[in-house]
Amino acid sequence: MKTKKNKAITIAIWVVISIVVVAGLYLYAGKEPFIRTTLSGLTLGSLFFMVAAGLTLIFGLMDVLNFAHGTMFMLGAYMGWQLYTNPTFIFGLMPFILAFSTGIMMTSAIKPYLIRWKLPVKWIEILPRIGYALALIAAFIGFAGIDILELADTAMVAASVATANNPLAEISPQLPFPLFWYRPILLFLSGFFIAFASSKPGVKTEFALKDNLIKKLLVPVGLFVLTIIAIIVRESAPEAILLMNGNWRFLISMLVAVAFGFLFGAVIEIAFIRPLYERAFFIVLMTLGLSFAITELVQLLWDPLAYQMVRPPLFAQPGKAANLLEWLRNGNSTIDIYGVTFPTYRLFVILLGLIMFTFITLLMTKTRLGMIIRAGVQDPQMVEALGINVKRVFTFVFALGVAMAALGGIGAGPFLPIQPLMGDQFQMQGFITVVIGGMGSYVGAFVGAIILGMGRAFGDYFALKLSLSPAIAEASTVIIMVIVLLIRPQGLFGKKE
Amino acid sequence: MTENINPKKNRFLTNFQDERIILVFLVLLIAFPFVMNLITGTGLNEGVTKFWQGQFIVFFIMAVFAMSYDLLMGYGGILSFGHAASFGGGAYTFALLMKHWAPNFMSNYRIMVGSINITEAIVLIFVFLAVLLISILIGLLFSATSVRLKGAYFAMLTLALGSALYILVKATDFHQWTGADEGLHGVPVPLWLNPTQNRLTIYFISLIFMFVCYMVMKRMVNSPTGRVIIANRENEDRMRMIGYNPVVYRTIAFVSSSIFAGLAGALYSIWNTSASPTMISAVMTINALIMTILGGIGTLIGPILGAAIMQTISQFFYTWFGARWPLVFGILFILIVMFLPYGIVGTWRLKRLDVKNGWKRITGMLSRKE
Repeated sequence: MKTKKNKAITIAIWVVISIVVVAGLYLYAGKEPFIRTTLSGLTLGSLFFMVAAGLTLIFGLMDVLNFAHGTMFMLGAYMGWQLYTNPTFIFGLMPFILAFSTGIMMTSAIKPYLIRWKLPVKWIEILPRIGYALALIAAFIGFAGIDILELADTAMVAASVATANNPLAEISPQLPFPLFWYRPILLFLSGFFIAFASSKPGVKTEFALKDNLIKKLLVPVGLFVLTIIAIIVRESAPEAILLMNGNWRFLISMLVAVAFGFLFGAVIEIAFIRPLYERAFFIVLMTLGLSFAITELVQLLWDPLAYQMVRPPLFAQPGKAANLLEWLRNGNSTIDIYGVTFPTYRLFVILLGLIMFTFITLLMTKTRLGMIIRAGVQDPQMVEALGINVKRVFTFVFALGVAMAALGGIGAGPFLPIQPLMGDQFQMQGFITVVIGGMGSYVGAFVGAIILGMGRAFGDYFALKLSLSPAIAEASTVIIMVIVLLIRPQGLFGKKE
Repeated sequence: MTENINPKKNRFLTNFQDERIILVFLVLLIAFPFVMNLITGTGLNEGVTKFWQGQFIVFFIMAVFAMSYDLLMGYGGILSFGHAASFGGGAYTFALLMKHWAPNFMSNYRIMVGSINITEAIVLIFVFLAVLLISILIGLLFSATSVRLKGAYFAMLTLALGSALYILVKATDFHQWTGADEGLHGVPVPLWLNPTQNRLTIYFISLIFMFVCYMVMKRMVNSPTGRVIIANRENEDRMRMIGYNPVVYRTIAFVSSSIFAGLAGALYSIWNTSASPTMISAVMTINALIMTILGGIGTLIGPILGAAIMQTISQFFYTWFGARWPLVFGILFILIVMFLPYGIVGTWRLKRLDVKNGWKRITGMLSRKE
């Protein structure tokens, strides 16, 4: 009873404080600057939320501080931007990736037969090594002679002048089919050799059932079909996408960024983080190393430059729209909101953040998976004891988090310069958001993101007004964090430990 | 063991006896410039010899920084992502005072002992005292946050505090003091400390600095206080049960490691005659972290090795792999985290017995054959 009363009082105090703060800001700044600053704060908060939502879920469930999250944000931006301006990179590499994963996915189908293979002891030791060596050789021969740098080649300010007349100006040349056909086969073989080696032929202590062969073959066969399709459309698909309406292209590039983030997150979790669960401390180091390596890889592919992505046509028409309908009809770049001129694209980013929050809320509260995740945040061991494959849930959540960060990245693409370090800033703010909101709580991440976005926007506003540099406002977010932590060490919505 | 049998024996000296290899390395490093001079024939303060002296100076300073991080992370079990704040704080304190305060002071006052002008020495001593003070304050600031926060929250707060300092240093508001983005350049250091004219002096100063820091840290880790700090890492609740206050010992760990880092930063600022925002950025902390991981956590000698490897790698990888050498390095780092989690020294200590036994077996087999 008393705790309920206390809770009510605390909430009342918070509400009063926030009303007073908002009213004070409104009175001090005046109507127009207030609305403008609020809207840009919401834009920032929306981006912070997209980074922080993944971070908070990953931390809450797996106790992993993901220092590669900003890098994933950046990768999402790069992938989406590549699809938007020069899809050759993605479509040119797709057959390889698909063929390789077809090979790897054979594991579950061939494992039951390989481990029952009667082999002399010597061969049991040697065969996997031969398998890995062959995989390396096959992958090397498969990739040799492909100029990835040329595939990734894109102009700094793509699609502004050159593509107005010729939409295909950015497309990179690809290898002709006679020089190409054997490469996916080699990559498939490489993946198959890895599947062969990792299923440990002849080891009797391994366990795998022989049943359901057809069901196990379903995934590799599906991937095989996809590989064939990817090989066929290798040259035509980029052109088709570039000739498409820009809005649809942007939608596709967002979907690609999300799909890429999801798959990439799953791969990273399985390959790099899962082996380190027993040594939790090293996961932090692993994510640091990954972030380092991936940033360098991106700099290798696209040079350490800042690229400018063109806004899709829905947000590109010069001129101000009087209302939402007019904007949707004409695709204006700015819109009039209560007398304030505001870029329409930023409005879209706010919308994106809200959609994502709704999606997560629905996922967490209405589905069985969300229930498992919430239970896992409370007590992973108990969930495992109840017979749920927690590892698979971990992989899913990690992949989901990375996908959300990637979506944030492509969302930020059209109004921020796309460069290798664009994610670091957001990662830092994402961490602060998560700490403010409480680790493991997506509602906390949402509220924290709004507080932080508002803090940044109004901080910038006041810094401008008091003729200070915006850096002061940036540093002051740390003060918000310290204040929240002094009042509630577990964050606003975190559970007490 | 020997300490228990012979308690009267000076422990500092026994430490020396334990570290015979270190002494050998010390002698080698002292001899290095002269040997290099003999081999190449270039003068002590020019050409290749001078270049390698520079490489070694950076190595010594970074080794101290990495060791101070190891003291904090490896022995104290405190994962702080704002350790560069101490390093950069030391560097900036030194550079700011030397640039803005010392010239004024030296032109206005002259302190003489007999006929020797000791103004410069007094100024240097004062500046170093200020560096000490600032690094103690930074250490206290960081450890104050650890009173209320634990684990990930604490790590995040250190990261945020560190980056707040970085942002403030880069802020254009203090441009006339800190030089914002470019940092402070051309810090007037005394002539006998000038890295271009008297590099050998700095070489020896930083060598001795590293050695002394190593001995002091080693002594500290083996002292009763150090034992309590290690116990704090292992199990805080049990520590509290026994009657130690974990906060006090965490503060000690923080402040002492901050002092070492701050001094290293000041020395780095002498060596570069500048202080730049990179010295205070998260990249610096991550460098120290990487060095510690490479060498081995909680070994003290490991970070030195890690710093040496880092210095070598950054020297040679560029010529081997071109401008994108950090990619190779990042992959190496991932592999080390995966397969050598205890670092080089840690793995060596774990496998030492195996290696020794293997050697014994091999030598035994050989002798039997004879």
